[in-house]
Amino acid sequence: MTTALAESSPVHVRAQQLLARLRSIVGDESVLAEQAELLVYECDGYTVEKKCPDVVVFPTSTEQVQAIVQICNEFDVPFVPRGAGTSLAGGCLPIGGGVMIALTRMKRILEVNLRDRYAIVEPGLVNVHLTQHLKGSGYHYAPDPSSQGACTIGGNFATNSGGPHTLKYGVTVNHVLGAEVVLPDGSVIQLGGTVEDVPGFDLTGLFVGSEGTLGICTKVIVRLTRDPAAFRTMLGVFETVSDATRAISEIIGAGIVPAALEMMDQGIVSALEQAFQFGFPLDAGAVLLIEFDGLEVAVDEEAQRITALCSQSGAREVRQANTPKERQLLWKCRKQAFGAIGRLSPSYCTQDGVVPRTKLPEILEFITDCGQRHGLRIVNVFHAGDGNIHPILLFDERDAEQVQRVLLASDEILAKCIELGGSVTGEHGIGVEKISFMDKLFSPEDLAVMKSIRDCFNPTGHCSPGKMLPTSAGCGNEHLPKTKPGRRAAL
Amino acid sequence: MSALDFTPATQLELSRFVAENAQDGRRTLCPVGGRTALQYGYSAPAPGTYVSLGQLNKLVDYPARDMTITVEAGIRIDALQQALAVERQRLPIDIPQRERATLGGALATNTSGPRRFGHGTFRDYVIGISAVDAEGRLFKAGGRVVKNVAGYDICKLLVGSRGTLAIVTQVTLKLRPLPETSAQLWMTIDSFPAIEQRLERLLTSQARPAAIEVLNPAAAALIVRSARCELPVDAPVLCIGVEGSAREVDWQLETLTQELSTTGLQECRRVREHEADRIWEALTEFQTCADDPLTFEANLRPSQCMEFARRATQLGVAVQVHAGNGLVVGQLLEEAATIDKTTAVLNELRGLARVHGGNLVVLHCDAQWKSHLPMCGDPEPSWGLMKQLKQKLDPHGLLNPGRFVDGAMSL
Repeated sequence: MTTALAESSPVHVRAQQLLARLRSIVGDESVLAEQAELLVYECDGYTVEKKCPDVVVFPTSTEQVQAIVQICNEFDVPFVPRGAGTSLAGGCLPIGGGVMIALTRMKRILEVNLRDRYAIVEPGLVNVHLTQHLKGSGYHYAPDPSSQGACTIGGNFATNSGGPHTLKYGVTVNHVLGAEVVLPDGSVIQLGGTVEDVPGFDLTGLFVGSEGTLGICTKVIVRLTRDPAAFRTMLGVFETVSDATRAISEIIGAGIVPAALEMMDQGIVSALEQAFQFGFPLDAGAVLLIEFDGLEVAVDEEAQRITALCSQSGAREVRQANTPKERQLLWKCRKQAFGAIGRLSPSYCTQDGVVPRTKLPEILEFITDCGQRHGLRIVNVFHAGDGNIHPILLFDERDAEQVQRVLLASDEILAKCIELGGSVTGEHGIGVEKISFMDKLFSPEDLAVMKSIRDCFNPTGHCSPGKMLPTSAGCGNEHLPKTKPGRRAAL
Repeated sequence: MSALDFTPATQLELSRFVAENAQDGRRTLCPVGGRTALQYGYSAPAPGTYVSLGQLNKLVDYPARDMTITVEAGIRIDALQQALAVERQRLPIDIPQRERATLGGALATNTSGPRRFGHGTFRDYVIGISAVDAEGRLFKAGGRVVKNVAGYDICKLLVGSRGTLAIVTQVTLKLRPLPETSAQLWMTIDSFPAIEQRLERLLTSQARPAAIEVLNPAAAALIVRSARCELPVDAPVLCIGVEGSAREVDWQLETLTQELSTTGLQECRRVREHEADRIWEALTEFQTCADDPLTFEANLRPSQCMEFARRATQLGVAVQVHAGNGLVVGQLLEEAATIDKTTAVLNELRGLARVHGGNLVVLHCDAQWKSHLPMCGDPEPSWGLMKQLKQKLDPHGLLNPGRFVDGAMSL
């Protein structure tokens, strides 16, 4: 037992009572309270800060989640929901200990209605399982974070996840019609519905991306998207990063909105080539992965236009994926890029800044300079079409001095994103990682309004304490000093 | 009313005015733009001050290559679209009375039209917002980049909040390219069930329509008249809108004609160019036909819409269905113009919508009817929570009190 329920007498007794009550709800086998078992839950994909929950429970129904929340309130302990734990910003860190509500056993697809283009799913459903389930129907669930093979729809809901195809299709919130939520006071509420334009405020829109601070979703109603009629996937090869960014600007400027527009620089390409032997040119400064979709009658014309725009911007060559297999391999390379980093360095740390698309050359130049100034190697693979950068800082975590330089460089890059009119997070969330940037992005007035909103739904601060807002209320808001940036799982 | 109007020249001036009002006097404030939606609301505006955003109409920043624009909320929709058209871009939301309506007003009422099927609604385009709350605090949320998850998404909360949570002063929008051209396929079809068969076929069409509209003959007649077009209106109409390059548009018209020419089809016309522009406009304006005594909007599952339209037609209502989205705009015609008859019609249709979790709200009616009619539909489960939020953000009830959820019954 840790913080909230230390093993001194009356507290310890209460802890045992809490455990007994939780077990009576979900059964003995669905409660973890041994230190060794809890260790798995001490962090998510953000590993800089660690904290074990006091207990992890695995509910299988809304009623169980509700009962757990009610018990937490009765015992005055914090609680935090968790999906697959792929968050890269510490969204699942159990600050102050308490009860972690792991939703991974609530993973059913409850309803698929193609005529009315929606599906109702439980929060623990793995993102890609929904798309697999829909295969052949002509419909899919559009948000496709790179971790979609592991991450859950509930986690996507909490963090408003993106992915490569958000450029054309939007992020999670654009595909959520409604949800069932257990509020921090233990009541259950239905937001939105299977119909559009439910009268009232768009609470669904507010809850998506609230990082678990307003409640715990127990069902998500998602909009299904028609599959593209046809698509083409291309690879533009450029001598320099700045040629590649110019091509991005030309494509968007020509009124073409690709489905995805991803950039990989030389550093990442060489790691990918070692890992997957795709046939990437190792001497190219950067490659663009461009996918666009539309009517069969239009895609070839579009391909020609894009090829011409790339060539005008100095592309050495533009290749097209000619078979589904080639396309699949290209996307595999992109989505598993982070897995290949191990070939470059023992540890790495990635950032999630966003800049206006036209500022990409500036931020990339800054990142190069920043790396040189701090004596660090930085490689880039990111959602270029959205201006969402993911610089990957390579280092050795055994070298404390190097680690400090990585932290400094990361902060400088994010500060530069703000200076260029952007944001510090495009899709990973604030979590605990970027909480210190909130007052750089937002004024005290902005934060006060956000705090009012949180206080309205979560007045005790027991639900996901210490996340997103710097002035978090509640329990044991202790932050470990930043000592080492995380070694990141997937992205 | 004009003596009580306040028209700030800057956002700061508005912020100061609202702060002073919160301290002293506490008059109720009714934010207005082009005054095209003053009739909206579950009750008539309370006596107080009209805060006009008319002078907050500046274009703040338009980095066209980023496909975003930041403007003050009082900008007229036509001025906004004209500025975007110069760069061959647009905000792809159909907003009626665009020469009067303002961005802030359209956003606060979450106005949309036929092309919401292909392009979505305000919640999909507002990426940053500034607003003044009831205490006079000027605050912002979101930002100016197309992808951003920092902080609560208050943009979503303010879209459709009808000026009851804060007064929106500035907006950053995500934009889309202007299509080269557009057209519609206008089909008259024997019956609503025969249209439903086509709607099901459209689910897996090879085409990708921007709009799927169904009109009963009464609505079709109004729309054709307003668009000054010669199109058949003597049976229910399925009107499918497509956009893109000339080649894409031609291909889609051809494909849709083939896919949908099954039994029950009476006439099939292709509407192009200027005529198509006028049809888009008439489809957009239908929701504001000001001559009729009452306009409602029902939201239901798309699969329920044809049955709803069939019954509404029998009850003498002109209906336009955004069939891909499950939204029905209905105009009660002159014949139904007594309160009792109107109430009976609305109650029956609301009952139909409720079967699968939908609802029906009155958008526009004679102000004297408001207290007699079930304006806001049946209570939704989250209204209690919404009232708490309204109370939290506007504790003294100064912003448009009673005109939205705080004026509706709870469960």
